[in-house]
Amino acid sequence: MSGFVPPVRAVRLSYGIVLRQLVTRGRIAALVLVGAVVIAIAIAVGASDGGRIDPVERGVRLISDLGFTTLLPIVALVFASAALGDMREDGTLVYLWLRPMDRWPVVVGAWLASITLSLPLTIVPLVVSAVAVDGGSELISATVLAGAIGVIAYSALFVLLGLLLKNPIVWGLGYILIWEGIVAAFGSFAAKLAIRGYTRSILTSITDVNLDLGDLSLPVGVVVPLVIAAAALALAGARLRTIDVA
Amino acid sequence: MGDWAPPTAQPAVASAPVVPDSNAIVAVTNVTKSFGDVVAVSDVTFTVGPGVTALLGPNGAGKSTLFRVMCGLTAPTRGTVRVLGADARNDRAVRGRIGLAPQQDALFDRLSARRFVEVAAKTHGVVDADTAARGVLDLVDLDADDPKVVGAFSKGMRQRVKLAAALVHEPDLLILDEPLTGLDPLQRNRMIRLFHQLGDDGKCLLVSSHVLDEVARLGSRVLVIAQGRLAATGDYRDLRGLMDDRPHRIRVAADGARVLAAALVERDLVNGVSISTDSLMIDTNDVDRFGRHIALVAKQCGVRLREVEPTDDDLESVFRYLVERR
Repeated sequence: MSGFVPPVRAVRLSYGIVLRQLVTRGRIAALVLVGAVVIAIAIAVGASDGGRIDPVERGVRLISDLGFTTLLPIVALVFASAALGDMREDGTLVYLWLRPMDRWPVVVGAWLASITLSLPLTIVPLVVSAVAVDGGSELISATVLAGAIGVIAYSALFVLLGLLLKNPIVWGLGYILIWEGIVAAFGSFAAKLAIRGYTRSILTSITDVNLDLGDLSLPVGVVVPLVIAAAALALAGARLRTIDVA
Repeated sequence: MGDWAPPTAQPAVASAPVVPDSNAIVAVTNVTKSFGDVVAVSDVTFTVGPGVTALLGPNGAGKSTLFRVMCGLTAPTRGTVRVLGADARNDRAVRGRIGLAPQQDALFDRLSARRFVEVAAKTHGVVDADTAARGVLDLVDLDADDPKVVGAFSKGMRQRVKLAAALVHEPDLLILDEPLTGLDPLQRNRMIRLFHQLGDDGKCLLVSSHVLDEVARLGSRVLVIAQGRLAATGDYRDLRGLMDDRPHRIRVAADGARVLAAALVERDLVNGVSISTDSLMIDTNDVDRFGRHIALVAKQCGVRLREVEPTDDDLESVFRYLVERR
């Protein structure tokens, strides 16, 4: 009676199941609160600096330093690491694993589910922040593009992390704070090894604001994170094939 | 499965070659599974064909690990497992022919029973998932239109949801890990009847339990696993006989314990006896004969019996006996 589940259908099934598992009231409320804090800071910054600094530059710095180093990776971490990691921990992964379908659609479905939740919870507060500092339409479009690229890349990395390690949140926070936050600030080469270097570059390319460690071209800023995401998803698929399922 | 294989000199059973069996649905050959230094399953070999086979063993014996290895959920450290001629870990088609009800109580708690079983059907490629889900929920005596989410279900209802999800794609091999846990006697009877019906239909069912009475009703074919080893395989009645023939230890509380002890030894009803102030510890190889005579002997001696209690009739001691004999 059963048969092979085609990849597109498997992606849809995985997406639906993981999305439902990820949406919890506590998780959403906590992350909305983090977004609200970012907006509040943006409003405070916008009000305090008056006209002394160019609002676009002020907005770029705020979005880059607060949004892209804190809000965006943390939101992506919370959802993406839980997407398959929680199912692995609580024993429900078996209901997607012991099935006549390939592994990669399961990973892609989980990744899309975490993106679905992370995008609005990051892009909306960042766009509101851009508006609050009076950054103009260029800053808004740069924020949307860089934010989306960042969410796509971070989500893929953290889906992989959830399959690789126990306590992925702890490891992910370590990565965000130490690697993305500190190591990537050491120089232009180190910046190229962090997603943050690419999201900054997208911001600077579109707004023409000069930021340290944000000197890559727009195509590089867009393409490299997508390649990183594809590689992370491929590794996650391979990991799912060999994983021990409870 | 082959004839009864008494647990004699180790490793006679465990390393026995797989019986060539064209009907074999599961073939486990010299499988060992270790987690670091802990050996969960050790050099286990057996084949299973259509019908109901019970996997009997105490908690922690390695039953669930063995099931996980069979399903491909974890790779064996050594040995091979063939399910329907292939390795479930790497064969997509075979995975679609296995129905697993895992022991752990993990479900998608925010789904209704029908949605949960529908998801199981869809992920198995069942064309009409709704009809299939309704059908199996009816089979396990659950209301398909109950809007309550499975997170709010009782243990017994959750067990039946798992069973329905394992059955919904009509698998050739059903692996049911302690499926009767949490069910009331009525549901237990109904599920056992269902298992037999599926077995009669040519399905292969492997059902684990740590409760001897359950196994007695599950079917005549039994695999006994203890401390990760296959302690015995064969017919349940033979296992029961082996258990009854083993040395038994019985505590007898009575007024006049010394007088009673002397009478029991005199009538050759015991192999050995130790006496404390008001009780005896009896060793006997013939528990039936002892049971038939103890009251009579006590009456003849003018001794009042307060309690006669087997101290080693639990399953753990049976398994210990089987393993120690190997």
